[in-house]
Amino acid sequence: MNAAFVIASRNIRQRIRDRSAILFAVVIPLGLATAFSLLIPRGSDFHTAFVVHDGDGGQVAAALVEHLTGPIADDGIADVSIVSSETAALDRLEDGSTSVAILIPAGFSDAVTSGAPTTIRLVGLAEAPIGTQIAQSIVGGFASEVGAVQLAIVTAADWQPGAPLPPIDPQTVAAIQALPSPTRVTDTTLERRQADTTTFYAAAMSIMFVFFTTIHGPLGLLGERRVGTLARLLAAPIAPGSIVLGAALVAFVLGLVSMAVLVVATTMLLGATWGPPLFVAALCLAAVLAAMGISMLVCTFARTDEQAGGWNAMVAITLAILGGAMVPLSGAPELLHQLGRLTPHAWFLEAVDTMSASSTSFADILPAVTVLVAFGVVSGAIALVRAPRFLVAR
Amino acid sequence: MTATVPPPTAHPEPAASRLVMPESRATISPPVLRCDGLVKRFGERLAVDEVGFEIAPGETYGLLGPNGAGKTTTISMICGILRRDAGEVTVAGQRLDPGATKAKGAIGFVPQDLAIYPDLTARENLVFFGRLYGLGGRRLRGRVDALLEVVGLADRAGDRTDQFSGGMKRRLNIAVGLLHEPRLLVLDEPTVGVDPQSRNAILASVEELGSGGMAILYTTHYMEEAERLCHRVGIIDEGRLRAEGTRRELVALVGQRDRVALAASGDLHAGAAAVHALPGVDEATPRDGGLDIIVTEARRILPRLLEAVAGAGVEIRSVEVIEPDLEAVFLHLTGKALRD
Repeated sequence: MNAAFVIASRNIRQRIRDRSAILFAVVIPLGLATAFSLLIPRGSDFHTAFVVHDGDGGQVAAALVEHLTGPIADDGIADVSIVSSETAALDRLEDGSTSVAILIPAGFSDAVTSGAPTTIRLVGLAEAPIGTQIAQSIVGGFASEVGAVQLAIVTAADWQPGAPLPPIDPQTVAAIQALPSPTRVTDTTLERRQADTTTFYAAAMSIMFVFFTTIHGPLGLLGERRVGTLARLLAAPIAPGSIVLGAALVAFVLGLVSMAVLVVATTMLLGATWGPPLFVAALCLAAVLAAMGISMLVCTFARTDEQAGGWNAMVAITLAILGGAMVPLSGAPELLHQLGRLTPHAWFLEAVDTMSASSTSFADILPAVTVLVAFGVVSGAIALVRAPRFLVAR
Repeated sequence: MTATVPPPTAHPEPAASRLVMPESRATISPPVLRCDGLVKRFGERLAVDEVGFEIAPGETYGLLGPNGAGKTTTISMICGILRRDAGEVTVAGQRLDPGATKAKGAIGFVPQDLAIYPDLTARENLVFFGRLYGLGGRRLRGRVDALLEVVGLADRAGDRTDQFSGGMKRRLNIAVGLLHEPRLLVLDEPTVGVDPQSRNAILASVEELGSGGMAILYTTHYMEEAERLCHRVGIIDEGRLRAEGTRRELVALVGQRDRVALAASGDLHAGAAAVHALPGVDEATPRDGGLDIIVTEARRILPRLLEAVAGAGVEIRSVEVIEPDLEAVFLHLTGKALRD
């Protein structure tokens, strides 16, 4: 064991000295995570801007404005601003600072309370169809609610067709709105299951590049063979297992440091929200084990360190693509989802998504942690079986 | 070997031979290395076939053979680098079995290829390997400092070894093998690709180590190195140890004799008759401008031989002693030249 530490500490010192580990462990993944999070929006990060002109100023119009400026602004879906004239609203559209103008006409409140028809105009930019659809949905929802109130009042007043509509007074509306809705729809799926763009790409780059870090352990062994020092290590009074263990320690330490630095750096610099620290630590530990096992296995098939480096890069990038670390799998066909489950990357990213929810227990990420550890144990065990063929001095 | 007399080349005479001399060093004190029946196959190819020999304390044993003869494979098995298919190795009384670490601790290994880290300094290399051999603290620092002095790298101890010349790297390579003061030093062709100056320094170091009591196993395909350094030589070819013994024993084994060529004038027939009567002289033939004399051991008989020739009225202008060398032995044993 002591020999393994001696070998590992020397190897880590060399890696730090040649700076390659730092480059692959920290600099490149951090840079790519920053670039991707800035350039590629993810589904949950949609953002638009509405401008509202209240040409009425009545009670119902005020309720609509409140409806528009409430939840969607609070959820960060849209910035909603109020302007004093229709011209100002349309100017905002012209200059591209808003996607949709919502124009409430004069007499809107009176028309609603008297049951007369009225129209709310939505003017949307052609290049912002999603924003326009959202505005339509919100305003349409408000209109449905008004219609429901009207229906409730005419029903309560025993209104007969052909008779004038009963007036809608605010107290009656408030009383009706206070009644519990017969149908309640809740949607917690998005809240529970998707990390924000920054966190996603921070995690994606971390899991992808940890493979480029852990490879330095077994690469060190191939390097020993190339420079001739493996013969000397094999002749030393140490168990051959210490040499392999030394390489594994290097892979583990570099992988863990890489992950830790990226978690801290992306949290502090990019605002990534990984989740509860202990859960993140467990997940990162499992991911490093998986990467370590796979890297070591890849190396046992290589004859030279250059070959091993190339093969490892190929495996790391292929797994990253299949596992959704380069492009999210959310919109991918089912087959790709299934293929993704065969990679550590998909499990890791799924766990990061899971941890983004406000209430996550360890049981939620336990399957991912277990699968990642299993990846590491199985591939590492095969690598160990192949180790005697690998530990041959040239 | 061709030498002009006087004096004959300095040569460490054999102290012992396991095969020929009954009272060899190997029997006087327990051998540091005993290997027996070593066999190694690579697929269908038999790389080492039943190789065995012993090395006594203070003895330098040369394994002489051309490239591909099985020298490196043999020492790889002795050092535990390569798993042997058959045979036994005992180092300092400890069996060298797979996974055995105690026996390996008695061996200092200097591989043929440089086995030092180019991106570490000379001192860092020595400290690292010293720790692997269980050294630490003051003893390790002391050994590192001492060896840096011995190999003349004390003033470059803090420099990365990729800035060293080939000779400096070779010297450091040897120093690593000596760190833990091994009882057996195994040197695998340590002078390959080395400039003449560094080569001489390395050979002198090996001579000094041998005289200090260390057992040395030295592989080479340079006949001159084997003759200069080794008390005994094993001739290996195609994985088989063809013969072993002192240089003289090997020469005798193949029936080779020394030739003394005299450039002389006067009564050459009288001179030939005079030396022919001496014990140890097999033939004496007058030729144009001199005499050719075939003897068993030229160095021993030379003074009396010259006295007898001069006594017969022959004027001697020069003397040349031609001794059969290991090259000739190798040729005789294998039917091919050492560097084929």
